[in-house]
Amino acid sequence: MSQVLLHRNRLMVWGGTLAVMALLPVVFSQGFAISLLCQIGIMAIFALSYNMLLGQTGLLSFGHAVYYGLGAFVTLHVLNANLGIPVTLLPLAGGAAGLLAGIVLGWVSTKRAGTTFAMISLGIGEMVAASSLMFPGFFGGEGGVSGNRVTGKGLFGITYGPQIEMYYLIAGWAFVCMIAMFALTQTPLGRMANAVRDNPERAEFVGYNPQWVRYLMLVLSGLFAGIAGGLTALNYEIVTAESLSAHTSGAVLLMAFVGGVGFFYGPVIGAVLITVLQIAVAGLTKAWLFYFGVFFLVMVLYAPGGLASLLVMHKRLWQARMMGWLLPSYLLAAVPGLILFGGTIVMVEMAYALLGGAELGGSEVKVFGFVVDASSGLAWAAAAIVAGLGMLLLKRALREVSYQWNNVHAALTRGMTA
Amino acid sequence: MEFFLISLLNGVTYGLLLFMLSSGLTLIFSMMGILNFAHASFYMLGAYFAYQISAYVGFWPALIVAPLTVGVIGALVERYGLRRAHHYGHVAELLFTFGLAFLIEEIVHLIWGKAAVDYRVPGSLEGTLFTLFSTSFPIYKGFMMLVSVGMLLALYGLLTRTRIGLIIQAALSRPDMVEALGHNVPRIFMLVFGGGAALAGLAGVIGGNAFVTEPGMAAAVGSIVFVVVVVGGLGSLAGAFVASLLIGIIQTFAVAIDFSVTDMAAALGIDLAGGSNLARLSISQLAPVLPYLLMVAILIFRPRGLMGARES
Amino acid sequence: MSAPALRLSGVKKRFGRSEIIKGVDLTIPMGERHAIIGPNGAGKSTLFNLISARFPVTAGRIELKGEDVTGLRPFEINRKGLSRSFQITNIFPRLTVFENLRCAVLWSLGYKYSFWHRLEGLRDAREKAEQVLEDIGLMRRRDTPAGILSYAEQRALEIGITIAGGADVILLDEPTAGMSRSETDEAVALIRRVSENRTLVMVEHDMSVVFGLADRISVLVYGDIIATGAPGEIRSNATVQEAYLGTSFAHA
Repeated sequence: MSQVLLHRNRLMVWGGTLAVMALLPVVFSQGFAISLLCQIGIMAIFALSYNMLLGQTGLLSFGHAVYYGLGAFVTLHVLNANLGIPVTLLPLAGGAAGLLAGIVLGWVSTKRAGTTFAMISLGIGEMVAASSLMFPGFFGGEGGVSGNRVTGKGLFGITYGPQIEMYYLIAGWAFVCMIAMFALTQTPLGRMANAVRDNPERAEFVGYNPQWVRYLMLVLSGLFAGIAGGLTALNYEIVTAESLSAHTSGAVLLMAFVGGVGFFYGPVIGAVLITVLQIAVAGLTKAWLFYFGVFFLVMVLYAPGGLASLLVMHKRLWQARMMGWLLPSYLLAAVPGLILFGGTIVMVEMAYALLGGAELGGSEVKVFGFVVDASSGLAWAAAAIVAGLGMLLLKRALREVSYQWNNVHAALTRGMTA
Repeated sequence: MEFFLISLLNGVTYGLLLFMLSSGLTLIFSMMGILNFAHASFYMLGAYFAYQISAYVGFWPALIVAPLTVGVIGALVERYGLRRAHHYGHVAELLFTFGLAFLIEEIVHLIWGKAAVDYRVPGSLEGTLFTLFSTSFPIYKGFMMLVSVGMLLALYGLLTRTRIGLIIQAALSRPDMVEALGHNVPRIFMLVFGGGAALAGLAGVIGGNAFVTEPGMAAAVGSIVFVVVVVGGLGSLAGAFVASLLIGIIQTFAVAIDFSVTDMAAALGIDLAGGSNLARLSISQLAPVLPYLLMVAILIFRPRGLMGARES
Repeated sequence: MSAPALRLSGVKKRFGRSEIIKGVDLTIPMGERHAIIGPNGAGKSTLFNLISARFPVTAGRIELKGEDVTGLRPFEINRKGLSRSFQITNIFPRLTVFENLRCAVLWSLGYKYSFWHRLEGLRDAREKAEQVLEDIGLMRRRDTPAGILSYAEQRALEIGITIAGGADVILLDEPTAGMSRSETDEAVALIRRVSENRTLVMVEHDMSVVFGLADRISVLVYGDIIATGAPGEIRSNATVQEAYLGTSFAHA
């Protein structure tokens, strides 16, 4: 009975996802919105494939871009080779490349787990990135490799010339990959990956070789990362060594982590949020990388479960009709939070204007619609006082929030045992 | 012969510098279980601080002040960041240091710009220490060796001859026991982390002007230091020492050798003209990946590392 | 006559310079309940770790059902039908109780590293896991993450994971350690139930448990087995009394 119900729920979720994916470009039909949606779709696959390692198997990788980047390069080479493979299926070439790279590189890296795996993944990532400069024939040197997806073979009159057709290709692959990756979590291998994450030694004493479980998960994760890379290649029609770099590996880690590695859909939330923020914040300020760094650190220190876990926590309260307990304290914290946020941003922006002054021209900055002179001591003092005040008040308000949280938590557990 | 000796000296100098980094990393790792991703960032900070300080008061004060400043920053990072992340486990700690490395690089961008800064060897240390056949060995390289060996001896003395050193050694294997004996382990952790950061900072002060001081230096050295630690064996100071020298020497030699497999084959009378691109690459072109290849080889044939005791 | 369940010959283990196990010879026939007792630090847990391949032996030979298993890895030995529990609870903390047990049965049912079976479709795995769930009395905790169970419940789950795979040789390392009297009684009943038709080897400190359950007992003192025999023989064995048990033993 509950089995059937579960099934119906799942079908509804997947049906809903499909409908949203289909309708999004109708709602957001501007050119830049479609490009953004394409990027989000690709990153969602990439981040989900990353989470097969971190969230599901407990492997923290700093070199996942290797599989993504190799997938992208191979896809373009296959496209340029004019083998007559329909463009629709070309991401599979990327997937095959990712799989193969996983088979070779994963064999070395999954020999160890934990911290050592993290270091090895970084080393292997650096190795592949460094060798990209040594083989300009394959990696195209500084300029990268480019191609033209329209020269590829069309299917049923679809040429993938217009961006919207590209979007539906990405969305289709994203949907298929998501279902496949979710299905994997419901198989013996998927479950044993969780077991190995929790306690590799115990897994060994119920008959499983943890090394082999890690290896298989890494190989399969390489497959999906490769597909994401293949889609990137088709989407931008150019691939550079950047796609293999530590920078890309860091970005996918950021997405998966911020979204929440403890839940299947967490990385999707991360992919959407980070991709949108990247474009929105980068358009607003030169300091966006700095803000990303701070945001990441704050998440690590204060919400290590990611956004998905925050959502789940609050969903439970919502269902228990206890949100009312918390809302006042949230409002109380929001005000000093915003003050601190505002003061800090003014200081950061002034610092960027002042120190980067030579290249940007002048010490005047526009923050929140006001023009501030970064060279004035008064402006600095004012911003510092505002930020300090915000911090002080926020500390007190957070005490209230955690007090209310404890209340709620106690009430919830009482409700559970009763 | 001449080439061999000079390259060996250069390699040892570079290797000793690597050891200043890998020793701190190893100490921090074996005591706290933390793989400090930001370790090379402290190296970078050391170089930039030294550049800034020597611009005002000269190199010699910078040699003392810059590492100390970096050490204090390291201790603060441990106290107010890592200690919190520690509650969520090792992955959170690792992610914290990863984010920190990213942030430090961005701050360096902000303050000193994206291009390299002009951090130079002080005038008093310019010149030639000795000439071997026809190649000269600069005074500064000798100075680097002197500082690193001095630091090495000081570290060794600290660990084996002083009370705090003995406590640190004990805490390496049994932190719970040391705490039970009434020592303040969190404070020792803070000291070790700060000390490791200061060592990295010192390496930055003497390495920054010998090589180049730019925002990418942390990432470039960081991954090499990780390789050193994996090759040497996680948690082994002796292993880190051997691996540092090994990789320092390998890289220095490789950069200087302009041979390719094809050339070598030709020297042996085999014609590989139609050979692959791989065979035509010269050793010096391969230099950047050699440490990683060494790491892979070690992982395949001796997964524990040269002298590693721990499995993970 | 079939081969014994376990045969240890000349098994030694050295850590650094100290020899913890000094050449143990022990034969345990099929279907026997065998207890290993001895003072703290005698090397009982180490012996278990050697048999189950958690540590490699320094010297000697271990046979499982007539087959040489010396030097195999833990998962290989497990696949040959030996399963063990741990003195310090060793479970999958973030998985539910049910998932813990299902993980423990997957290999024995032949699903290996499959990523083409749907777990929910595997009736045999579900039924087996549910059967064990009932055996260990944790039905009410079926969907609770194992990490937040009470200590006694975790100990029961530990035994459940150990027996779920259907191994015919079971090693239990202090199954009742840290339990109250009533919890111990329950655990003993559980062990008795689940060890039927199997070979059981256990390390135990609680003498009433040992003498209530074991067919034969071995006494391990400083890495040597000084006596092996039926409970009555061990009780009256002068060397045993002298070497380890003192007077309190006679009253147990």
